[in-house]
Amino acid sequence: MSHAFHFLDDVAIADLAFDASGDSLQELFHGATCAVIEALADPTTVGSTWRKAIERTDEDPAELLFDWLSDLVYWKDAAGVVFSRSELTLTRQDHGCWNLTGVLYGEPVNGSAQTLRADVKGVTKHLYQLSQNGGRWTVRVVLDV
Amino acid sequence: MDSEGGVGRMKLNTEMRVNRITDEVWEIPMTEKSGMLVPARIYATPTILRSMDAGVFEQVTNVACLPGVRRYALCMPDGHWGYGFPIGGVAAFDVRTGIISPGGVGYDVNCGMRLIRTNLTREDVQPHLEQLMTELFRRVPAGVGASGFVRLDHAAFDDVMTRGARWCIDRGFGWHRDLEAIEEGGCIAGVDPSTVSDQARNRGMNQLGTLGSGNHYLEVQVVSTDRVFDQETASAWGITGQNQIVVMVHCGSRGFGHQVASDYLKVFEKAMRRYGISVKDQQLACAPFASVEGQDYFSAMNCAANTAFANRQVITHQIREAFSAVLGRSAEELGMELVYDVAHNIAKVERYPEGDLVVHRKGSTRALGPGSSDLTPRYRTTGQPVICGGSMETGSYLLAGTQGAMRDTFASTMHGSGRTMSRAQAKKTIRGEQVQKHMKQRGILVKAVSMSGLAEEAGFAYKDISEVVETVDRAGITKKVAELRPIGNIKG
Repeated sequence: MSHAFHFLDDVAIADLAFDASGDSLQELFHGATCAVIEALADPTTVGSTWRKAIERTDEDPAELLFDWLSDLVYWKDAAGVVFSRSELTLTRQDHGCWNLTGVLYGEPVNGSAQTLRADVKGVTKHLYQLSQNGGRWTVRVVLDV
Repeated sequence: MDSEGGVGRMKLNTEMRVNRITDEVWEIPMTEKSGMLVPARIYATPTILRSMDAGVFEQVTNVACLPGVRRYALCMPDGHWGYGFPIGGVAAFDVRTGIISPGGVGYDVNCGMRLIRTNLTREDVQPHLEQLMTELFRRVPAGVGASGFVRLDHAAFDDVMTRGARWCIDRGFGWHRDLEAIEEGGCIAGVDPSTVSDQARNRGMNQLGTLGSGNHYLEVQVVSTDRVFDQETASAWGITGQNQIVVMVHCGSRGFGHQVASDYLKVFEKAMRRYGISVKDQQLACAPFASVEGQDYFSAMNCAANTAFANRQVITHQIREAFSAVLGRSAEELGMELVYDVAHNIAKVERYPEGDLVVHRKGSTRALGPGSSDLTPRYRTTGQPVICGGSMETGSYLLAGTQGAMRDTFASTMHGSGRTMSRAQAKKTIRGEQVQKHMKQRGILVKAVSMSGLAEEAGFAYKDISEVVETVDRAGITKKVAELRPIGNIKG
């Protein structure tokens, strides 16, 4: 099982765009989450004194991922934190909905100790597309900065 | 494609036909896209038009398809691709039959520019510049997750949403006369804070008085006499030239405004089905202006706009405090009067020959001309100040609104220089430390929270603002008043 992400040079010139991929939907969610965490700050410079558990359900995995990534942006502002890592589990429920249970780890913003990057203001639906090709899941995400 | 016109054949980033109206105005006729209700007009020199990305042509013609659009869908010369509307987009919709769209306002509601004059010259400030920039950097929080010094509970935040910059003045964060120099007097009336979600509140409550990141900045600038183009107007606004120091602020409603936009995009995606509206791009999600959903968004957007006015007002207070602390005189003695504060991401109801219209400006600035009854007496003979930010390396401009803008562009003009290179590409091209060093060599002191963010804002990533300004000046939709050159910059 593996996931990956990379930021794109020529998409959304005023903002930040990335492609993420994974061998499974859960890995894809991991990859996209890592991309947003990296966009905000270098996670190796961020501690894990702050923790937030989040649960979400949606029948559409694309909407579920969109809302989950938006959660990161929300907690960044609402709690004044940046993130070091996340844990997440994605399961398909009997009635067809997807359930995500996740935990975000991080610490309050501290510019003297952390390498801060972009203040992402939101996740957008521009070019937003989640798809499966040859067994690998991919998503393109544009972040508004 | 090759476009016909009086300046010869041009290669543009579109297959659509683009007709020359004048050397600065280009029109895409309604025949070029199914569903267009009005033509699209782009303000640009041939050089700028050639450099415009394909998104501009696609998006401005998508806007021309929206219900109730009147006269033209417009794009200013600093235009580039945006979410739904292009940045630099202007469109007006009938209040009875038309729509309102968060994509036409932008995520950062009432992102705007503010300019503060001083009695100081560069010679007064230069010996203290390092100390001054350090003090400004300390007093005006910037960057990821920054929170301000103003502590608000929910009731107080409701007051900020309702009263905007007036709330700040009542608490000593500014002078009463500042309000005369802010669009809408710094307070858009008739808002209902209950239209704002708890999520938006939670994101915004701690951010009053903060700069943010991205292309937001606080800049100490110089106006030299040879860069004052309209002495009479400049003088009326307190701009004297003679190496005068001014301070420019560019920021908006921060995460609060973005959450308002995101919340209502979701509401409108569902509402469009109910109202039978289809759009060419999901980011153009909209609702009839007169509908419950449309009115709720209008209220929430205005709450965010008032919060942005308040944000820039608190920052102004901090700037005055910083100058006063470093230079040892009161802000009044330093003549730190507000020249103007103008929004460049907003929708407003304004009256035109077609009737009352909801004018969407996204990355464009209101530009009321002399004689406009919507201006306070202070600006009625000069026209409204228009503040346009360039890249942090090249400088900015102060312009004046014209009657030409009121006639041709729903009283709208450019807002800045516009990017030509992506953030990711800029970071691969140069490091933030190099940008900082180059700028210091050129006499510009930069304080930045994020070095990667600084690299993203390098001057080469932006269009030449002078050519953008010349376009709107020659088109008659604003006139040049003065150029402002940076000597100190604070970035998030």
